[in-house]
Amino acid sequence: MANYFNTLSLREQLAELGKCRFMHLDEFSDGVEALKGKKMVVIGCGAQGLNQGLNLRDSGLDVSYALREGAIAEQRQSWKNATENGFTVGTYEELLPTADVVLNLTPDKQHTNVVNTIMPMMKQGACLSYSHGFNIVEEGMQVRDDITVIMVAPKCPGSEVRAEYVRGFGVPTLIAVHEDNDPNGEGLALAKAYAVGTGGHKAGVLMSSFIAEVKSDLMGEQTILCGMLQTGSLLCFDKMIEEGVEPGYAAKLIQYGWETVTEALKYGGVTNMMDRLSNPAKIRAFELSEQMKDIMRPLYNKHQDDIMTGAFSSGMMEDWANDDAKLLGWRADTAETAFEKTEAGDVEISEQEYFDNGILMVAMVKAGVELAFETMTAAGIIADSAYYESLHETPLIANTIARKKLYEMNATISDTAEYGCYLYNHACVPLLADFMTGVTAADIGVGLDLDDTAVDNARLIEVNAAIRSHPVEEIGAELRGYMADMKRIV
Amino acid sequence: MTGPHITLDDLSVDFDGRFQLHDVTWAIAPGEQWLITGANGSGKSALAAVLAGEGDITSGTLSGLPDGVALVSYERQAELIAAELRKDDADILDVISDGTPVAEVIADGCLDEQLAEELVDTLGLRPLMDRAFRKLSTGETRKVMLIRALTSGPDLLVLDEPFDGLDHDSLLWLRGYLTDRAKTLPMVMVLNRFDECPDFITHMAYVEDGRLLHQVDRADERAFGELHQLLHLKTSDLEVPAGDPAIELPALNPDEPLVQIKRATVRYTDNVVFENLDWTIEANQHWQVSGPNGSGKTCLLSLITGDHPQCYVNDITVFGFQRGTGESIWQIKQYIGYVSTALQWEYRVGTSLRNVIISGFYDSIGLYTRSTDTQKAIADDWLALLGMTDRADEPFNAMSFGEQRLALIARAMVKHPPLLILDEPCLGLDDMNRQLVLALIERICAGSTTTVLYVNHRTQDHIPGIDQHLAL
Repeated sequence: MANYFNTLSLREQLAELGKCRFMHLDEFSDGVEALKGKKMVVIGCGAQGLNQGLNLRDSGLDVSYALREGAIAEQRQSWKNATENGFTVGTYEELLPTADVVLNLTPDKQHTNVVNTIMPMMKQGACLSYSHGFNIVEEGMQVRDDITVIMVAPKCPGSEVRAEYVRGFGVPTLIAVHEDNDPNGEGLALAKAYAVGTGGHKAGVLMSSFIAEVKSDLMGEQTILCGMLQTGSLLCFDKMIEEGVEPGYAAKLIQYGWETVTEALKYGGVTNMMDRLSNPAKIRAFELSEQMKDIMRPLYNKHQDDIMTGAFSSGMMEDWANDDAKLLGWRADTAETAFEKTEAGDVEISEQEYFDNGILMVAMVKAGVELAFETMTAAGIIADSAYYESLHETPLIANTIARKKLYEMNATISDTAEYGCYLYNHACVPLLADFMTGVTAADIGVGLDLDDTAVDNARLIEVNAAIRSHPVEEIGAELRGYMADMKRIV
Repeated sequence: MTGPHITLDDLSVDFDGRFQLHDVTWAIAPGEQWLITGANGSGKSALAAVLAGEGDITSGTLSGLPDGVALVSYERQAELIAAELRKDDADILDVISDGTPVAEVIADGCLDEQLAEELVDTLGLRPLMDRAFRKLSTGETRKVMLIRALTSGPDLLVLDEPFDGLDHDSLLWLRGYLTDRAKTLPMVMVLNRFDECPDFITHMAYVEDGRLLHQVDRADERAFGELHQLLHLKTSDLEVPAGDPAIELPALNPDEPLVQIKRATVRYTDNVVFENLDWTIEANQHWQVSGPNGSGKTCLLSLITGDHPQCYVNDITVFGFQRGTGESIWQIKQYIGYVSTALQWEYRVGTSLRNVIISGFYDSIGLYTRSTDTQKAIADDWLALLGMTDRADEPFNAMSFGEQRLALIARAMVKHPPLLILDEPCLGLDDMNRQLVLALIERICAGSTTTVLYVNHRTQDHIPGIDQHLAL
């Protein structure tokens, strides 16, 4: 199998990367009709598999789970998940030959194996659905010509996919049709109905392409989403210890700080996050972020380049072939870091204090979001897509750190994201070493000593203008506006 | 009518360190008939007992109390029974003694034998005259207490919940009799239920936290109305706000039951919650469901609401939908209003109180649809009913558990659902609000559009109109 993206001409590559459109609610007026009465079989009963299945069934669709014989015989967790939730469970041989739609919700690294196993069993003209395009785009999986290949990717963890559906809402979802595998021209109708079935249409659906999804998703998760938060956590913690900040306080400020500052990001973008700082702190955070952007830009470019050329995925696939030796080693190293090993102290930190004493963290989020966005759009990824894969998802990942630090983040994200996260971290920590020597406790841990909050008017206007006019803010305001049009009243 | 002129001036009273009344200033003038009201534990019984000379005055003065004060209360009843039991213990003879017979208890302190004879017959105590007092039922004991009080030639009659525990006929008789006696005998009455207030009552006192907060002349209609509202016990003119006429549900087949569950079983790998359970719920057939903790009450209800995933592997038909045949959960939920503790845990949304109530029209947790002016107006009617008008815009997740519960009850009822499922609705509510909610449920049961399923542990929260019972 060859990298699919690399087989396309530059013109085709750019066309695919540029595919991303926010769909309007009235485009979903057919509801789940295209899937009504069809037999949907899920492969993979983890968090995404189970929760998507629960939603689809509650939307009136016929859902069952295909498990390997061993999982059924040994009544493994996946079998328990499916049966206790009242689903029909069967072996691949039992369920796949009659399936109209097969939902492949297994981890990336199993895709080649899973798809090769199931393809011969699938009936003529059936549909194969992915929630991530890595297998098609990076591994070049060739799916049988008669099979329709679509992608429906809820942009949230599986538990959220379910929780939001139960509330009567949904999570933002990306859909795509693999143009090479749409023999009956029904791919889009199926993908739309699937998105309705999971409740995604209520929260907003982006119509994209397999390629745009993969290239933007990989970039986002490696850099701002996971990589920057990991590097930031380690650097900020070590700095605070060096500056004599109490370790329990330092651990808590970081563990919950990402969640708190990115919550502001979720509601009003980088502008609102920065507005939570005092004027002097805002100017300081802006300056820190400008410095970091200059330092880190080559690293962001390298990540995007490696993703585009396929160098990243081929490197990772080598590690897959080597029993994840590197991944597991890096995971163990992370567990041994000072931040990871220091328990959050039993101290009160008010919401505002996370901003006031976490100026550097705010600056890191701003630098990472903007750089990732700039790098993606410069590479031909459309702004909507770049927004979702950078700013939009940052609070979701930050939530995982609040739960159980880096361990939880790396356990929740895919192995693909985790691998990329470590690559980023290994390069970024030394890259910022020099910069960090210029950082003090005022920037992280203690906050500015503000007897006087006076600032220069001209400088403040300049900084505010720079923050507010960044392209991620423009597209962000527009997309969050659509979300409000979707009439969510927060 | 002449009578005592009782004055409490800045009076504080201690009851064995267990309860205190604080700074009570109150005057009972001749010709006034008082009702003391307030929530459970507010101190209304304590205030009544002070008039019968109980408690230790720690400051202030109490004057004008007549000699003959007769008190009927649970506490007095309990004391008398305890005294009977002590007598029994003290008996050194080796014979089985049942204690004092009823006739003797009535004769003790009786100043009007003729009246006593009449009352014994009227209240049906004649066959019990030779029986030991402490062998009587609670209601019978209460009747004996009443007779003792009424025949003691009292100058002031203090009645703490006199109607409690009486059967219906006795209650009606007593109301009439007291109305008659009230022409010449001053009374102070304690009542939990506002709607039981007899017509002869001229004044009301409202007690809260051991303090007398309000005194209202019944002739002052506005003040009386406000007190009425304060108590939330508007059972007599309680109106359930109308539903939204713009929402029209697909009609149900009137000949089909709302719910039909056949041989339902819910099991997990390691345990079975229940097995082979059959249940049919016809429209307008209200049900109470009871059972010990863990017997599967909530689980059973969530099979109906569709929140339990095993509803798909059981033979369940709800609102004409055989579950698992292509219906969506929203088609089911549109017919259901639902309150449970689980729902309250899940309702972690920062939206306003008003929006929480409106979300009942959409069966959602949080509000994701622009609501109509009609819906806002209906939500405001509910807030007024709950006494929460001024909190309409406050965030739901910042409210107390009880306040959240009230809002969720309104959310469940707001659309007048064909099926209203109330899983321990009164959990966390104070007495006033509990009674308000029970009264609301009673009203809804009496209407013809909503069928009620009611899960409850507390037997005193029985609701008239709910006559079917499922015990798990």
